[in-house]
Order: sequence, then C-alpha cells, then structure tokens
Amino acid sequence: MNIRQEIETSYREACKNRNIEVPESLEDDMVLLESGLDSLGFAVLVTDLEMKLGYDPFTLMDEPVYPRTFAELFSVYERFKDRAQK
Amino acid sequence: MKTKPILITGGTRGLGLSICRKLLKSGYEVVAAGRTKSDELSQLIESHHETPSSGSISFERIDLADCASLHSRINEISKKARGLYGLVNNAAIGKDGVLATMHDSEIHDVIRVNIEGSIIATKYAIRSMLLRGEGRVVNIASIIATTGFNGLSVYGASKAALLGFSQSLARELGKANITVNSVLPGYMKTDMTSGLEGEKLKSILRRSPLGRLATTDDVAETVDFLLSHNASSITGAQFKVDAGSTC
Repeated sequence: MNIRQEIETSYREACKNRNIEVPESLEDDMVLLESGLDSLGFAVLVTDLEMKLGYDPFTLMDEPVYPRTFAELFSVYERFKDRAQK
Repeated sequence: MKTKPILITGGTRGLGLSICRKLLKSGYEVVAAGRTKSDELSQLIESHHETPSSGSISFERIDLADCASLHSRINEISKKARGLYGLVNNAAIGKDGVLATMHDSEIHDVIRVNIEGSIIATKYAIRSMLLRGEGRVVNIASIIATTGFNGLSVYGASKAALLGFSQSLARELGKANITVNSVLPGYMKTDMTSGLEGEKLKSILRRSPLGRLATTDDVAETVDFLLSHNASSITGAQFKVDAGSTC
C-alpha cells in the first residue's frame, strides 16, 4: 500500500467532486486550506481514506493535530499506518 | 436504485420501535440499535421474515454510554449496510427527580448518553452519508427542551443541547446534501413515561387542544416524512408532535 499515492488519489477525487481545480503535482508545502478544499471537503477526504487505508489517524491520536500542509497530512497518516485494520 | 439503510438508536422499544416499524413499512433497510434486543423487536424481525416486504430489519448492539466503542461499532454497521443513508438519534435516558438531590452519577449518565453518545454516533454515521453525497439526520428531542418540566431539568438540558446541535449541524452539512432536523415529541405513552399518572397526566391532557396525548406512531410518521424525498428541502427545522399541548 502506497500511502502517499492513496492520499493523492483521494485528494484529487475530493476536489473533483467539489468542482475544485487541483494543481498537476501536489507539492509538500501546499497549504491545505489554500488549496480550495474546504473543511467539509477535508472531512470527505478523511472518510474516504479511512475506507481505503483502514484507519483514521485523527481518531487514533491522543491530542488533536490539524495538518497545515500536504506534507504534514502525509506525515500524520504515515505515523499511524501500523494501526490500520484491514 | 441505491438502498436506504437507516440506523435508529434506541430502536428496540417504545418510540424507537414505532419508528422502526413505520420505516420498515416504508421500505427502508432498518437497523435497530440498542443495548439489548427486546422481545418486541425480535417479534417484529421474525414477523418480517415470515412475510417479507420491500424493506429489511436487523438488530445491532450499540451502547451510547460507551463512547469509546462508537467509532468501531458505527463503522461496522455502516460497512455492513454498504453506507448509511439516515440516522435517527432516538436513544435517551430520562432520570426523574429534583436537581438538588439527584445523584451526580445520574447527571453524568444523562449527559453522556443523551448528548455525548448521540453526538459521537452522529460524527461517525454521517461519514458514509458524506461519501454517498446525500443523507438524513433526525434528532429526537422533546418539548421539555423548550417548555421545561418540574423534575426533568437535566433531561431537558440534554434535549435542548440536541436542538442546538441540530441547528449548527444543519448548516455544516447542507452543502453535502445532508439534512438535519429535530422532532420534539410531547408526552406519549412509553416505558419512559410510565410513571406519569394522576394529576400530572390530567394536567397535560387539559393543555392539549386535541384533548389527548400524541402517540409514538404520530412521531414515527413525522420521522418517516423527514427521511423521505418530500422533505429534501427541509433542514434545520423543528417539529413538535404533542397534540398541541405547547401551542
């Protein structure tokens, strides 16, 4: 399972479903809130990723963390990958 | 056509069971949730199996007091149902008694089940609706939330919280084509109100222009309407079903 690829795919799908234009390459320093995806779109992304990856890191973490950039989002999923239930 | 699974918390008896019965008749995939499967629900499931119609009904164990279990339980139920279309937040506990002498643990229990459990269950149930691009949430509040009643301050607070929750959530989920509405039943004859007799009951009947109590079936009809296509433009609304006792 390539987590980054899954995140990128889900991210693009979430944007497409909300008629948001996505840059061709998703750079590490891309600020999520400035990318066009609003908080509801982000919730759809997290839900979709839970279905695909088998875990929701935001539910598993003890203290809430809100990733600011695409790299931070990726790192959150990477940190909890061992908790995947599939 | 997409199936329409509806999760009803507290669906094993009283109002919840009436809602399950009505939704089954309307052809939904009814998932009745509760701590234990009641005899009445077992009978309903059995009789449906004997004379199956368009809908379906099943039981799922959920304990809203055990908030930590809700994520996995709701996910399992959603997965089994291939994505929920609706959630009816009906489960609640009601402790009757003046606040000054109510035990702290009873206050915590009401808050945990009626507010915390319902909110967390909603959090996970709406996720499959977000992916479907459509959905319905119906929160069963109570007229006590707005009128008050002697001896029900904590219960009333919990139901008022549910109303506030519904209003903001309706705004939050509108863009996702998910409606959120509240139903405020008046006094009905259920296990929960079985202690309501004598002068208290007479006083409620006197206040009703219709001279009677609303029934659980009356409330179930309203829930059925809110889940239907006919209610697709209704969100953030509150429906009193109380035979007019608060008008």
